[in-house]
Amino acid sequence: MTLIRPSRREALALGAAALLTPRLARAATPVTLQLSWLHSVQFGGSYIAQSAGYWSNAGLDVSLLPGGPNAPVEPPVVAGTALVGISAADYTAAAVNQGAPFRIIGVAMQKNPFAIASLPGNPVNTPADLVGKRLGMALANMPVLEALCALNDIDVAGIEVVPTQYDAAPLVQGQVDCLLCWATDLPVAMTMQGLDPVTMLLADHGYAVHSQTYIATEASLKDRRPELVALMKGETMGWTDYEAGPEAAADLTVQMYPDAGLDIETQKMQALRQVPLMFSDLTRAQGFGWFTDETVAANVDTLALLGKPVSADLWDRSILEEVHG
Amino acid sequence: MIIRLASVVALLLAWQLGAQASAGRFVIAAPSQIALYVMEHAGLLWRATGVTGWAALQGFVWGNLAGVLLALLSVLVPRSERGSLTLALLLACLPLVATGPILRVLYGPGQGPQITLAALAVVYTTFLPVLVGLRALPQGWADLIRSYGRGPLALLALVRLPAALPYLIAGLQIAAPAAFLGAMVGEFTGAERGLGVLTVRALRALDLPATWTIAALAAALSLAAFAGIGALGRRLDLAPPEILLARPAPRSGGLGEAGAALLVALLLWHIAMEAFDLPRFFAKRPGDVWDYLVAAPGAEAHRAKLGAALGQTLAVALPGYLAGLALGAVLAAGLVLAPGLAALVMPLSVALRAIPIIATAPLIVWALGRDVAGPVTVVAVMIFFPTLIACLHGAARTPRAVLDLFDSYDAGAWRKLLLAQLPAMLPALFASARMAVPAAILAVTTAEWLATGRGIGALMATVASTSDYGMLWSAVAVIGLAALATHAVIAALERAVLSRTNPEQLAR
Repeated sequence: MTLIRPSRREALALGAAALLTPRLARAATPVTLQLSWLHSVQFGGSYIAQSAGYWSNAGLDVSLLPGGPNAPVEPPVVAGTALVGISAADYTAAAVNQGAPFRIIGVAMQKNPFAIASLPGNPVNTPADLVGKRLGMALANMPVLEALCALNDIDVAGIEVVPTQYDAAPLVQGQVDCLLCWATDLPVAMTMQGLDPVTMLLADHGYAVHSQTYIATEASLKDRRPELVALMKGETMGWTDYEAGPEAAADLTVQMYPDAGLDIETQKMQALRQVPLMFSDLTRAQGFGWFTDETVAANVDTLALLGKPVSADLWDRSILEEVHG
Repeated sequence: MIIRLASVVALLLAWQLGAQASAGRFVIAAPSQIALYVMEHAGLLWRATGVTGWAALQGFVWGNLAGVLLALLSVLVPRSERGSLTLALLLACLPLVATGPILRVLYGPGQGPQITLAALAVVYTTFLPVLVGLRALPQGWADLIRSYGRGPLALLALVRLPAALPYLIAGLQIAAPAAFLGAMVGEFTGAERGLGVLTVRALRALDLPATWTIAALAAALSLAAFAGIGALGRRLDLAPPEILLARPAPRSGGLGEAGAALLVALLLWHIAMEAFDLPRFFAKRPGDVWDYLVAAPGAEAHRAKLGAALGQTLAVALPGYLAGLALGAVLAAGLVLAPGLAALVMPLSVALRAIPIIATAPLIVWALGRDVAGPVTVVAVMIFFPTLIACLHGAARTPRAVLDLFDSYDAGAWRKLLLAQLPAMLPALFASARMAVPAAILAVTTAEWLATGRGIGALMATVASTSDYGMLWSAVAVIGLAALATHAVIAALERAVLSRTNPEQLAR
């Protein structure tokens, strides 16, 4: 299913898989994974799983469906066109509150990537620095700001919110003093343009919301369990390789998607910057994507602040337990 | 010739210097940067253009075909006209934020949504002029056909269709940039390649040369299509349409007819979603919207929220809409007085229509401010182009005899414009006012989403990100109703004005 010649390590993996798994007579099962954005190294582990054959060896034929500005993840998962979608705990909580039958079955980003980006001449290093600043953001993210303020005892009225499009232009053009964005995209773009942005990760100030979470429907958890396990197993293997070599993942991304307009240096920087968000002592001890009752409880608290109340049942560890078991 | 060349060089030089002077502010890419980007990324741009262009072309064909068929149906079965018009207008007003996920679920990966959105972008603006063309026949010819004992089909084949061709060409010219833009934003629903994908990437990467290159490319391609279709029309030896877009909306036919058309639209909405078995989670039926806004608990709060957003939107959309119409008419008048300006104005107009609004809107808003001037200008920029084209065609149909009379009295150009050519433009202006309704809605909602954070556009973006599809589809329904109401007001105004200035337009 892929024309990329396997590397030595991949060939070993292929051989091992061939020895360990009984040769399947049936054709590979087609499965779709709905990504949350356009192709980029943000999904590097999935590309490794694809090209190294971690899925095809397990009898899966996985299509990676790109997202985009008008491509929400939840509808294709509800409709069943995608078996698994890459969402985030706040989006999933909102959808569940609207009646979607989702479960979170894995957490790729242990730390939420939301950050406040500013310029060194007028930096935002702590939440208190936000007071009196003009903050550019999509108004849809207002609950995020309110939650941050509540967590840090700051009066949200002291911040002047300017609705902006999601790019760094308003900041570098001087329309705003700081931006609410992901630490792994706009600050990287600014750095590549020769600027030296300051980023303050919300996750370092109490904002606990799992991001890049894997969601599936309750029905799939019941009826398509083997596929879910195989898919998540491939993800785990792919992302474990990614942790060992993020820059190789960037190379692979650019190689697999030559038409995506990706810049290799930008991809490498992004690849490195998302490592500390995705891997922690917890994942090294328990395995990629893991979550504990404690991290879930912290999420439930933050989500309540966001106006998206959920119970801990939203998280379902059974697939990961089979994968890592 | 030399002067023209020199002015182009001077313009490029000024652009280059302006860009270099403001390099630290990340607003303008210099021509040299664009040239460099094209050279370094020729293969990528070539492939992306091929992908997006192919989707745009397919959508262009399907959308225009649908527009022509709806117009034919309206002529053959006059009772269906109100329904066709309602349907075409509503389809044109569907916001991407609601259709995107549905199209992606229906088609899966691939080009389906891009093609569909390109098609939806042109149905309405082709339907209107072709309908005018099919009806623009001298009564004598119809009588002649009838006196030979031939029926409506012969009339259609021998008189109506040839008469409609010039109008079709005008419609296709307006459709070309719209289809291209439709294909580009179609890629926002999740695509692997294309110019829309590259635009999103470039904007986020603060990559000005890429952003400006793609905008220039989209503009150039639309310009080429516009010119090519015009040349095709001349090749077929088609005189420009005689009374382009002149037909006023059908006499109101009472509320009953409008209600019936609306009912048909609601039925189609429900049946289409049921037929494709779309989950209610994100594909709300008319009944769900009714529950959300009227029957269910919390309906009052939902209505209040939606109503407030609608008010904010109208406060931007109406001034922008009127300004766009005025700008189009004034530019058309200016071109009548000084035809030489066309070489400058026309490419600029086509370009502004073709460049993705998500690339231009932030620039305009940045230059003019977020409060009022910026968003109003975004709307005006989006809609003045069809108005300009239509008014130019309208002015061109000033009866020769009238112009001769003015000339024989040695009347000045201004007087001729004021007394002869402007009245001749009126029917076209009204028609383009009706054509511009969906474009104004697209523009205002985009500006609200990207820049002001107020109104229905911002509301739809917010509720889409929280899976509040009940509110989303309620907003879709309200937008559709607002479009129909606007259209009805313009049609009434049109009848009132034309009955004084151009009574021949009201004869049926």
